[in-house]
Amino acid sequence: MNNPKTQLEDLNVIVSGQGGDGSLTVINILADVLRSSGMRAYTERDVLSRIRGGITAATLRVYNGDRQCIGSHIDLLVAFDLLAINKYAYRLNDRSIIIYDNSGGSLPDDSGVPEGARVICVPFSRCAVSNFRRDLYKNSISFAVVGRLLGLKDGDMRRSFEKRFARRGAQSLKYNLDALEVGCELAEEVGVTVNNGLYEIVSTDSKPHMLITGNEAVAFGFAVAGGRFFAGYPITPSTEIMDWLMAWLPKFGGVVRQAEDELSVINMAIGAALTGTRTMVATSGPGLSLMQEGIGQLGMAEIPLVVVDAQRSGPSTGMPTKPEQSDINQMSYGGHGDFPRIVLAPGTPEDCFYMTVEACNLAEQYQVPVIMALDQGLSQNLATIDPIELEKVVIKRGKRLDAESLEGIDVYKRYAFSEDGISAFTEPGTPGGMWLVTGNEHDEFGHVSTDPDNRVRMVQKRQSKIQSMQADLPHAVTYGIETADIGFVGVGITYGVIHEAMDILAERNIHAQYHQLRTIWPMLEETPEFTRRCRHVFVVEYNSTGQLATLIVAHGGEEAHIHSVLAYDGMPLQAEDLVQEVIELMNLRNHKRSE
Amino acid sequence: MTKTYTPSRPIWCAGCGDFGVLEALVTALEELEVPPHNRMIIAGIGCSGSLQNNLPCFGYHAPHGRVLPTATGAKLANPKLTVVGVGGDGDGYAIGAGHLVHALKRNPGVTYIVMNNGTYGLTKGQASPTSSTGYENNIEEDLEPIMLGLSIPGSTFLARGYSGQPEQLLRLTLAALRHTAAGRGMSYLEVLSPCVTYNDTYREWRTSVYDIDSDAGYDPNNRAAAFSRMAELREQKRLPLGLIFQEKRSALETLALNHDFAEPALQDITDPRLFTAYREAKQSFMK
Repeated sequence: MNNPKTQLEDLNVIVSGQGGDGSLTVINILADVLRSSGMRAYTERDVLSRIRGGITAATLRVYNGDRQCIGSHIDLLVAFDLLAINKYAYRLNDRSIIIYDNSGGSLPDDSGVPEGARVICVPFSRCAVSNFRRDLYKNSISFAVVGRLLGLKDGDMRRSFEKRFARRGAQSLKYNLDALEVGCELAEEVGVTVNNGLYEIVSTDSKPHMLITGNEAVAFGFAVAGGRFFAGYPITPSTEIMDWLMAWLPKFGGVVRQAEDELSVINMAIGAALTGTRTMVATSGPGLSLMQEGIGQLGMAEIPLVVVDAQRSGPSTGMPTKPEQSDINQMSYGGHGDFPRIVLAPGTPEDCFYMTVEACNLAEQYQVPVIMALDQGLSQNLATIDPIELEKVVIKRGKRLDAESLEGIDVYKRYAFSEDGISAFTEPGTPGGMWLVTGNEHDEFGHVSTDPDNRVRMVQKRQSKIQSMQADLPHAVTYGIETADIGFVGVGITYGVIHEAMDILAERNIHAQYHQLRTIWPMLEETPEFTRRCRHVFVVEYNSTGQLATLIVAHGGEEAHIHSVLAYDGMPLQAEDLVQEVIELMNLRNHKRSE
Repeated sequence: MTKTYTPSRPIWCAGCGDFGVLEALVTALEELEVPPHNRMIIAGIGCSGSLQNNLPCFGYHAPHGRVLPTATGAKLANPKLTVVGVGGDGDGYAIGAGHLVHALKRNPGVTYIVMNNGTYGLTKGQASPTSSTGYENNIEEDLEPIMLGLSIPGSTFLARGYSGQPEQLLRLTLAALRHTAAGRGMSYLEVLSPCVTYNDTYREWRTSVYDIDSDAGYDPNNRAAAFSRMAELREQKRLPLGLIFQEKRSALETLALNHDFAEPALQDITDPRLFTAYREAKQSFMK
């Protein structure tokens, strides 16, 4: 019997089990094969900071159109154990399909699966062990059932396996292909045949897309911006930046070193930056704490460097694999003493790419540290984006003097006072361009100085760069209805859920606008202005104290208009959460009016 | 010629051992014809951390203890520079000890000169990692940095000089710079450099130093024998001076860089030909 097929428009799939079950692999292959069919994809992971064990999940959303988040309810749940069903049952509804690994026994009545939902029981684990003696292959077996349900052709599934597993060696590929075969047979047994898939995959968009994470986009952006030195220390969720650059940067003539700690990382980077090389480091909150000493040095000694902070749940070791945006204060205020800095916040992988280029330019143009605020979600979630346009990349290196240009100058001073606060840099190796660069207060030549007049002028020189850079700082992008009195503000992973919440609200005839700020520090006037313009501003952020909202208020934002929406439980927000916040406020307002 | 900063006069106390180190370094750089614009001198925090101000060079004053990572980054980015790290025992053996271990392990092409005076002079005489037991109520054993260096299999040049013996110090400084210039990696030169104000060890060191260079039976190419001899001399309360260990191996930058390209600092990053390589990377996200 053939089911009536619906066109695949928007589908949310979760694969969940214990760590090491391979949930992420299933989702990543699925994302790749579906985007090859022209669909857009977005994935999210819910994992623990360990390699085996503990409940983990990977989520995929496939859709036609533009979504940068996971939907609120789950259409298809692949559960390798009962815990997975218990955990995600609340997001299922009567149209959901559950594929349950019943190797450990049949599904109990009180599993929480809603009435009407379709449950397909398949003993993946038992099959994996009996065919391959290893539980490990159950994810590849399950892929066949999922793929067929979604309407993938067996040949396409095989090709996606070849692409994924070939690099792990011939044997791994063979076993996984065999597992896929076993999965197809199992699918037949439970009535999921080649012909009765639920969906027809028809793309409305024939353009090719890139499938990329925020971390990869930052790494790629750095390389294309001319970045040639990167130092890192492994730390979740930033490590993929170092991994990508280790594989690719040498191909462009660059070099990557893994150091002994983040103190070494930032000082190696300083050493490279001092030679005039474009340099970047990447870390997460705990690493950024160690780097604060170096960041202060960058500010005082006027050394350009891009520092990426892929934020995770803190404080201390916190929850390393969980999203948070609780380093906003640390990025904006960290370190001792006063010095200028820039803190940028991209919202999508595409934004990550272009903003990294801007960050590299700003660092060198203004000779300041530029910190890029990512978060676990933006860093690690895989998304389809429009192909990056390499031709759009413009490299600006700021004031530099080479041997030839030095010849026309009588006296060269590394820290010469200037109108815009920026003094020309010379690369070591340049005859006549010698300098002294120091973290001590210094005079124009770089000689240590405690002279009070010099001190005041030097502090002012450095601070004046904040004024000079205003025109070059990335502006916010505002989406939605410009006259709407409901506004959203958010950075990083909040981008997708805010967009989706606005769509849902629009369906209910509630209109809103979204101010996606992209420069956190120095805060541009446009952001506090937005909070004055909108009657109700929902500042959505992943921390418990409203760090972003506080910063906006400190810069003249309208406190009375701001409603903080805070998430710090380690779970990604869903659009419905935001919709509820708005509805509650509207009800409250209507209630007040009727009184 | 463009005028730039004028090297300042040292701020050290009269009689400070650091004068000897400065003298040896300047003489050696001149003898090896390293022009000022190719010298990158990276200094730590402490009395010795002002040495770069006293000669024409590209001079950098790092945060406390961070000389070696900085020097490593600079050398990797531009191997054409003569990169010299200088600092004291507090900078290198206390706050920067972790970096010393890993720098020796990595073997970057930098010369690292530690002016060891066994005290924190700039903060007025607290015990340092190399202070003797009993100095300023020090109840800990002192650190033996040369033995530490020997214990790291990646180390390729270890030497100790003494400011009180300028001829040998110059010879060792030249040997250190030559080892690194020959592409063999890190040369680590510890210099016993007395602090006349807080730990005047001239008298003590004059009798306790032991010149291993003139020890005919000593082989500086044998790590195990070197280690054993160092332990022996320590037991005899002698301080060995001279070339203690040397090994021929490739420097970090030789191994780490893609030599199809110019040095990272010297590349034209706006070269449009790079776009072919970037397109390949872009394709990897599209297939």
